Amino acid sequence: MKPLIGVGLVVGALYVVAVGYYGGSPETWRVGYSPRQPVPFSHALHAGQLGLDCRYCHTTVETAAFAAIPPAATCMNCHQQIAPESSKLLEVRETYANGESVPWIKVHRLPDYVYFDHSAHVTRGVSCVSCHGRIDQMEQVTQVKPLSMGWCLDCHRNPDPHLRPPEYVTNLAWVPEEDAAVAGKRVREQLQINPSTSCSTCHR
Amino acid sequence: MSSIGDQKNLKTHWRSLADLHDLPEYRAFAEAEFPETADPGGVNRRRWLQVMGASFALAGVAGCEAKREEVLPFAKRPEGRTPGQPQRFATAMELSGSAIGLLVTSVDGRPIKVEGNPLHPQSLGGSHALAQAAVLELYDPDRSQNPVQLAAQGPIVHAQKDKWSGFDEFVRQHFAGVKERRGAGLAVLSPASSSPTLTRLRGRLQHELPEARWLVYEPLHDDSVRAGAKLALGAPYRTQLDLSSARVVLTLDADLLGSHPASLRYARDFARGREVVDGQMNRLYAVESCFTMTGSAADHRLPIRSGQVPAFVGRLLQRVQQLLSSSVSTPSGESHVEKFLAALAVDLVAHRGAGIVAAGDQQSAEVHAAVHQLNALLENVGKTVNYTLDPSADDVSQVESLKALVSDMQGGNVDTLLILGGNPAYDAPADLEFAAALQKVKTTIHAGLYRNETARLCQWHVPQAHFLESWSDARSFDGTYSIVQPLLAPLYGGRTGSELVARVLGDAVPKSEELVRATFKALVGEKYNESLWRRTVHDGLLTESAYPAETVTAAREASLPTEWSEELPKNGALELVFCRDASVYDGRFANNGWLQECPDPLTKLTWDNAALVGSATAKMLGVSSQTLATLKLGGMLLKVPVYVMPGQAEGSIALALGYGRTAAGLVGGLSDAEVPAVGVNSYLLRGSQAMYVATGLTVEATGESHRLAVTQDHFAIDKVGVHERARRVPILVREAPLDEYLKHPDFAQHVEHVPALESMWSEHVYEGHRWGMSIDLTKCIGCNACVVACQAENNIPVVGKDQVLRGREMHWIRVDRYFKGDAERPENVEVAMQPLACHHCELAPCEQVCPVAATVHSSEGLNDMVYNRCIGTRYCGNNCPYKVRRFNYLNFHEELKDANREISKMVFNPDVTVRVRGVMEKCTYCVQRIQAVKIDARNHGRPIDDGQVVTACQQACPAQAIVFGDLADSQSQVARSQQDSRSYALLAELNIKPRTTYLAKVRNPHPDLAEVPDPAEVEEGRAQH
Repeated sequence: MKPLIGVGLVVGALYVVAVGYYGGSPETWRVGYSPRQPVPFSHALHAGQLGLDCRYCHTTVETAAFAAIPPAATCMNCHQQIAPESSKLLEVRETYANGESVPWIKVHRLPDYVYFDHSAHVTRGVSCVSCHGRIDQMEQVTQVKPLSMGWCLDCHRNPDPHLRPPEYVTNLAWVPEEDAAVAGKRVREQLQINPSTSCSTCHR
Repeated sequence: MSSIGDQKNLKTHWRSLADLHDLPEYRAFAEAEFPETADPGGVNRRRWLQVMGASFALAGVAGCEAKREEVLPFAKRPEGRTPGQPQRFATAMELSGSAIGLLVTSVDGRPIKVEGNPLHPQSLGGSHALAQAAVLELYDPDRSQNPVQLAAQGPIVHAQKDKWSGFDEFVRQHFAGVKERRGAGLAVLSPASSSPTLTRLRGRLQHELPEARWLVYEPLHDDSVRAGAKLALGAPYRTQLDLSSARVVLTLDADLLGSHPASLRYARDFARGREVVDGQMNRLYAVESCFTMTGSAADHRLPIRSGQVPAFVGRLLQRVQQLLSSSVSTPSGESHVEKFLAALAVDLVAHRGAGIVAAGDQQSAEVHAAVHQLNALLENVGKTVNYTLDPSADDVSQVESLKALVSDMQGGNVDTLLILGGNPAYDAPADLEFAAALQKVKTTIHAGLYRNETARLCQWHVPQAHFLESWSDARSFDGTYSIVQPLLAPLYGGRTGSELVARVLGDAVPKSEELVRATFKALVGEKYNESLWRRTVHDGLLTESAYPAETVTAAREASLPTEWSEELPKNGALELVFCRDASVYDGRFANNGWLQECPDPLTKLTWDNAALVGSATAKMLGVSSQTLATLKLGGMLLKVPVYVMPGQAEGSIALALGYGRTAAGLVGGLSDAEVPAVGVNSYLLRGSQAMYVATGLTVEATGESHRLAVTQDHFAIDKVGVHERARRVPILVREAPLDEYLKHPDFAQHVEHVPALESMWSEHVYEGHRWGMSIDLTKCIGCNACVVACQAENNIPVVGKDQVLRGREMHWIRVDRYFKGDAERPENVEVAMQPLACHHCELAPCEQVCPVAATVHSSEGLNDMVYNRCIGTRYCGNNCPYKVRRFNYLNFHEELKDANREISKMVFNPDVTVRVRGVMEKCTYCVQRIQAVKIDARNHGRPIDDGQVVTACQQACPAQAIVFGDLADSQSQVARSQQDSRSYALLAELNIKPRTTYLAKVRNPHPDLAEVPDPAEVEEGRAQH
């Protein structure tokens, strides 16, 4: 019996360590996930160098739960004039003509039982950069934050360092002139932000 | 305290006869902690899978596994469309020739939820269970998907890409020949329709093909209503009632609040009249054989056989005439009926001009004529009773015209029969032998949502578009013109009825939108312009398009018998009443799992129909509930399970139509796939001579029994023995007559006194919203609209009959139906309805016992359920005093990955998590709706107005019995309602502080008919105070 108990203890301890390691590993939370997209759209070029506002394409971000992926028609607004023959844009031109969808790969994914709402955050001074990182510097979009429940709650419990005046929400390079927590506190008081940590805030 | 055992006539509440008599089957449910454990053994697994598959399929894969997922944007996003945001569109649903206005919620192009259209005068925002379940029907994979042609070697399914080409070619050729013969030999058989477009096309058909005939048949027809109006008023006028200003209402086998085409409007108006204003409220008398929702809401209900109603009306007419001429009332006799008649006549005469007398479809033309005469005598006409012209083009009896058609079919005089929907091979009178006659017709074409019994006998069957896929138009009972607009393109490429008729008439490619618009143009005439059309489509109705009231008077003396006999008819002379079923209607909704599983409002029966028999009659016949009995009527035999129903008129047996389908689908019965029929087909006993009420019935017990899935004893609130139950139920459902309420407006607070309670727990502190609900028991009519609305909103699965028998139904809101009175005296039985969902207790007993904190309190007082944490201990369900928690004993979704059934997923509400096996679930106060309103309000920096957050049950309720809102706002409707003197909390003595409270029921009995309370009881009541 005794050796069995010993083996059991060792295996048990190893199991706990393994679960802890796996659960805490960034890969588990898909940090670094960066799938190749069907069209090599560069945020670094569009949002960074050209300085397009996020909301030019993600039009619904302030009014709806989803920051909708733009239709091909949005691309074609410019690309009928700019680089109209580019081979990289072939799929965009084709879908625009035949009405089908460009099969973009979703990068930032939440489980189905989580109901995140973009509008509730960006209208209250939570910048895109808080969850998505410096998208304006990415050639290919990569997930940089864990998007885990604990990570969400960190901010819901202590929002001040993550808040900024709503007009700077899409300015990913913005840094406050004073301490972030002090600036954020002012925004929180001004906008009466009181983030909920009740389960039904996100789970329904 | 006197014991109930030795005082049989003590008036008390009980859930069922099994409860009243403390039978083992009741105790099995009341005493067990949980119905049965999760052993699927004994379940007919195959059957269960079929049932489940038809309603739900696998939800999306959740979790954090790295699976590639695509996001597919539009190439060009339609104007006004925001991905993931719900949009609402007005449309209308027609049923048997009357429409109700609807507002349908669509997410990303798929309709997921039906509501009543608040602008529509016939729905006023309310809806019924049938409308709520329309989305499940839309996505039913069993719907007909392709044209099917019958050939010698069997049916040929035209499933190729241009599946209509074969049929179109056939129509072109065949109807060219018909046209040459000026339509001779062509008959079109259609269900009742109020669609002006279809009427216009019908006119065109009769003009272009003058020899053709067009007839209408509805199994639940109103032949006698129209014939009665013709007798009394000279033409088949339609009667419009104003229940909001009526003080005294008498219904004669008429279910004004349940099955009437204007029931939504009537329920709202009736509920308004139940609000006590200046010490007054309306009074409802119901005289009926079988318990209806109207009967259950009545202050006085007289159960008599439908065959006795003519004599009852005859005597009432005599009494009213006497009272009007001499104003001296004849002394009332000793019998209950005599007393009832006397009180009723006095009441009706005293409230002249503010009364209503109404009779139902199953009563004869003569009774309807007498009712018109009564309303005229009582000066109700022009006030509470108005007449409008009957819109239907036929001035003939539907049954007579069907008879004539069948005899012509038999005689070979019909060579083309076009059946535009409906199912006459199943639901035509049995003696006509419609199916046999159909074989004699050379060319038969059937269009319908399903390839049903009739479709299988026709040479051609073609799929019809669902109303949520169609452009059409319709008129509601009062004549309001509504546009039916499609929410999506036909899923299976079906066509509308008007498109088919237009094609028969030779139109090349008819488009129903153009057909409807052309009708609209003709209807509004010079006023037509694009903006009027758009506004009508947007609003769902054309304002002020109701039929104008006509001035007509009943000028005829009714001739009705007045002899009254109290004698109970012998076996062999019993009465059989065929009734509309609250779930499947006439059988057309048989494949709808939501409706099949929705408990009948009165019997609480699911997945079956049964012969409803009164107590004394059951004793005489030697049958009891669940006995399988043979019903013999005019040479026809039918084996039917018996259900002993308190309050059922003795000597009369009620049997619901619409069951026993053999070609409904995998839910309702499909003999091709060896799926047994649900219930028995009562149409087999229904002959053309006695469509609603037949006499000469013999009932014989077969010695076999049949288990009925009745939910009335499930989730019983207490389990402390029959004596304690008898004492406690009146505490759960508090009620008082109007005069007591006027004397003691706070009577509900004094039903039980509990000492000051101290909390064992530290209480929550609320800073923001405090959500709460109030349910008015005086207004609730028990119609089940809330039950199905909740099922649709919250992705609640269907479990099937086997699981219901085990008490595992999943409805988050149930309507408890309590009987009150002496079960042996049907006239003494009263009903109280009590909708019950999670009460969101502030000191919730469920939260305190969850070992994994899967059910926790939110900062706004919601009792949140976290599915992902739940490990299924069921402690919470055990500790819930209201029994409102539902456990997923089986995985109602995952085992159904069948690709054929995948389409059913489209009905899911994307804002609500789909649950799996092993988790507990329950009402969330529609938290997804609360969050949507909150987020929107805060995005715009506005406060949330009272009435902005509407739960699904509240929105569906036609009587507006449910109020929801923020208790922190003392001026909100719910806060005021909870401060009302009638307000009480259920099981307040447990100090759990429920957020849902009830408004006690107030009845308005006639003083002469009120039960004199037992002096001993009164004494005891005083002692308690």
